Amino acid sequence: MKKSLYETDEAIIQGIRRNDDRALAYLYKLHFPMISHFILSNSGTDDEAKDIYQEGVIVFYEKIKDNSLELSCQIKTYLYSVCRRLWLKRLAEKGRFANRIDDSEEFQTLEEDVQKHEENERQFGVMADALGQIGEPCRSLLEDYYIRMQNMQDITDKFGYTNTDTAKNQKYKCLQRLKKLFFAAYKPEV
Amino acid sequence: MKDYGMYEQIERYLNGAMAAEERAAFEALLQTDPRLATKVQEHAQLLQAMQHYGQRQTLKHKLNNLHAEMEADFDLAQEATPQSAQIWKVYWKRHAQTIAVAASVSLLSVFGTLWSVQQLKAPVRQQTARYVELRREVEKIKKEQRAIINDINSVDPSVKPAPRPARFSGTGFAISSDGYIVTSSHVLEGADSVMIENKSGLKYKVTEVYRDHDNDLSILHIADPAFTGFGKLPYTFKNAEADLGERVYTLGYPREDIVFGEGALSSTSGFEGDTTSYQISIPLNPGNSGGPLLDDKGNMIGIISGKQVGQEGAAFAVKSTYLLEMIAELPAAATLAPLTLPKKNNLTGNSRPQQLKKLKDYVFVVKVYSSKGV
Repeated sequence: MKKSLYETDEAIIQGIRRNDDRALAYLYKLHFPMISHFILSNSGTDDEAKDIYQEGVIVFYEKIKDNSLELSCQIKTYLYSVCRRLWLKRLAEKGRFANRIDDSEEFQTLEEDVQKHEENERQFGVMADALGQIGEPCRSLLEDYYIRMQNMQDITDKFGYTNTDTAKNQKYKCLQRLKKLFFAAYKPEV
Repeated sequence: MKDYGMYEQIERYLNGAMAAEERAAFEALLQTDPRLATKVQEHAQLLQAMQHYGQRQTLKHKLNNLHAEMEADFDLAQEATPQSAQIWKVYWKRHAQTIAVAASVSLLSVFGTLWSVQQLKAPVRQQTARYVELRREVEKIKKEQRAIINDINSVDPSVKPAPRPARFSGTGFAISSDGYIVTSSHVLEGADSVMIENKSGLKYKVTEVYRDHDNDLSILHIADPAFTGFGKLPYTFKNAEADLGERVYTLGYPREDIVFGEGALSSTSGFEGDTTSYQISIPLNPGNSGGPLLDDKGNMIGIISGKQVGQEGAAFAVKSTYLLEMIAELPAAATLAPLTLPKKNNLTGNSRPQQLKKLKDYVFVVKVYSSKGV
């Protein structure tokens, strides 16, 4: 059933655009063995395979969401190329230069996509750090409000503030700290 | 408190929640207040980063769930098939070059070996099992030299140019008194003209009247008007097969003079089991071809045809039965009068030298003249 639904690349892309989690699940399961094999046969571990593959899928997923995907090849090739690039970088970071990569697939150079992804990653890393540093309940408060988009009243109730104004004030203070931390570490490369 | 209000305002502006007028006012303020502008920009960036971060977290969470789910229902069988295919792919990619080189080397060596074996085998085979016809190639150069010397020496201009030397020679013998001679066909190969000559100096021009390619036999007839007849032939032709171990002999012209050879009938079949000929243990040389093979009693039992190179004492002679068969079909095939074969044997009981004395006039050297190189 699943198979017939997402048989073509186009169907998968449409599915992801519709926020259909089954499309994502199908895609994810379909190509993991390929990447896993690639990583494992180029001195990687299972966990690294999972990591790299998820990053690859994220790049692909976000490009679809952005509507900036110009797929000039199969999804399979795209994923393989992205993961290959990512893994080479990872190897370089580890100080292990792969002088010879065993490829089982065709691949393309997708420098731009990968670079953009890395920029995002850096931002997220900084954000995660900053969020970690502001501590609770600031973190939850901000996440609830800005990420989970809960309304102020619910948040007031949840955190046991006396009224929404207190909550807003608290949120403001938290945001101020986050901002400081975030911009201290993050300089956008423009 | 003021800042907190300002943030509210900024957020409302960013979310597009401001009314048109308020928005216009705020934008005007942005124009004039660069500090506020940076703040707004920073705020926007922060919020966006946070939201993206949130989305990313959800996505990661989702993928982790998927991964766990996948690992759970990945049973080994499912994994094995694509995995092994992948392994082969990688293996192939990694070793394709090596494999190609190895394959070409092995192909090369296989065919090289086959070729060289063939090359080596060819001469070996020639040595072990080659049948040679015993036609003699006359020492042409020597004779030509002699002719040139004769030319130079002869001061008399009226002397005719030296006769062209014979190119090949073999042996032949009479089968009837009216001028029929038998010899091996291969002796006459490429002949322009054929002469026969015997020990006593008789010399005739002959023509080939019949040829049996299968048994390598040819009948010649003396065309010379001066020829009157051989007289009675001293030997007869044996129709039955000769016995193994019988003492046999032959006369022939492996050189300028007649040569006697003696031996035994060593097999009733010839080269590679050929039943139309005998194997005999007589030392033979080129020029013996077409000579008569006689038994002790003076019966003609065969015609010398060839020998096997690389095999000691293995010579061959066509059985006389086939000669007789050929003679029998001769009148029909060549529109000739039936041959009268000799009926009485004058050799029986004579000692060998006596036999040879009677015999030698009926054995001829067959000289083949040819302008073509054969």
